[in-house]
Amino acid sequence: MNTLRAVIALLFFPGGLFILFAGMAYEWVDRKLIARFQNRIGPRWFQPLADSIKLLAKEEVIPTDVNAILFVVLPVIALAGALASALYVPIIGLEPSYSFSGDLIVTLYLLSLLTLCTGLAGANTLDRFSLVGATRALTQMFSYEAPVLLALLGPAIVAESWKISVISEYAKSHWLIITQPIGFLVAVIGLMGKLEMPPFDAPEAETEIVAGALTEYSGRGLALFHLGKSVELMVGLTLVTAFYLGGVANPLLFFAKTLMLLVVVAGVQSLLTRLRIEQTVGLWWRYGALLALAQFLVMIAYEGVA
Amino acid sequence: MTLNLDKPWQPVLDKIKTWARINSPWAIHFNSGSCNGCDIEILATLTPRYDLERFGVKLQGSPRHADILICTGPVTRQARDRLVRIYEQMPEPKFVVAVGSCALSGGVFQGCYNVMGGIDKVLPVDAYIPGCPPRPEAIIDGLVKLLTQLQEGAAPEQNEGENTSAAAVEGAEIQLDAQANGEAK
Repeated sequence: MNTLRAVIALLFFPGGLFILFAGMAYEWVDRKLIARFQNRIGPRWFQPLADSIKLLAKEEVIPTDVNAILFVVLPVIALAGALASALYVPIIGLEPSYSFSGDLIVTLYLLSLLTLCTGLAGANTLDRFSLVGATRALTQMFSYEAPVLLALLGPAIVAESWKISVISEYAKSHWLIITQPIGFLVAVIGLMGKLEMPPFDAPEAETEIVAGALTEYSGRGLALFHLGKSVELMVGLTLVTAFYLGGVANPLLFFAKTLMLLVVVAGVQSLLTRLRIEQTVGLWWRYGALLALAQFLVMIAYEGVA
Repeated sequence: MTLNLDKPWQPVLDKIKTWARINSPWAIHFNSGSCNGCDIEILATLTPRYDLERFGVKLQGSPRHADILICTGPVTRQARDRLVRIYEQMPEPKFVVAVGSCALSGGVFQGCYNVMGGIDKVLPVDAYIPGCPPRPEAIIDGLVKLLTQLQEGAAPEQNEGENTSAAAVEGAEIQLDAQANGEAK
């Protein structure tokens, strides 16, 4: 019985298929919102699904002079990492299917796997655009990873646990967006950086470096990277909502909260233009990390007094 | 390299594939010697006023991501190799759309010493969109016609004479590889 439950959790709900479709739904909402902000009609509701099926059915070109095994395996690892992280977060406000002390750290590392795989995939090919894209993707990763970790550390410290379920339980009674506004800001912007959304889309800047690290990917590999990104969008939104916007709640309310967050993210995306890579790094280390640290100091001082 | 297994679910799979292909045509745009008139019209088609994303059309930077090669202008002798190379870089199934009079026949440049003629002198073209330049409405109409043709089950041109075209493609690839290696060195 236990294995059956595990298989269902891994393949259908809340892992596997459900996450894939939910991720595509979030991606559609994101694209549609941006289209409406730009005064366009935007894609139809099944667009991400059609894109994914089409890419999966397309020929996959493996370029010469690449390590073919790495080329084929990296997208699989990226998607697997994103899907695995979904098992530890409270998807649509339900209790996470697996939970252990310290799963926050594991989830964060699983979420970074996508960026790491993108970087490696770009560095694997000889194409100059892929190489530039990979360099930028990894540079950007090193700049946002620490501030985001600090931002998610804040709730963990006040809840006195590394366990996602405990933190979201604590956040139920404390809206941390009010007590830790800087952490919330850094976490949301970090999520955008993780997903390489504008203004942090320098790694895949179409107008400069074709398609960044994924330039040489066609068909299956590209589809898996795209799906991984949609899944990560959903997991990221869930994580920020659970930590800062009132924790695990009834599923409908939780869903509405993630959608509100997505509206904000889409608004920022269509409002701002692309930052150069050194501006991105500067933004994170000069402001993001320092602000998160300042918030820590305030918290420690407050804790010390209280 | 497609496996044609005679399984009962094969027709259903084919239907799903065709549906996905029709609803998600990603395009790449190449100018092989146009005066930029058609290019501006293509950009107008992609921007908010006409918004091709409602049909699922997305402009891609990389030929590896694209399904449709939108060509403008006559093929000059200099651009020929690049055009063929971009076409070869696209994964199957792929389609070519020729936009504008010059892409159809060479237009006013017909007979020039440095011009090969229309796109179909170099690549198999699936849809022709006439006009000098064609209006965005005409471009959308041409794309929709190409997609309807797909729905009716018209196979992409490359699949008809598989052996001959595969051999030709291989030959071209070897040539291109040699060029690429030469460039690298």
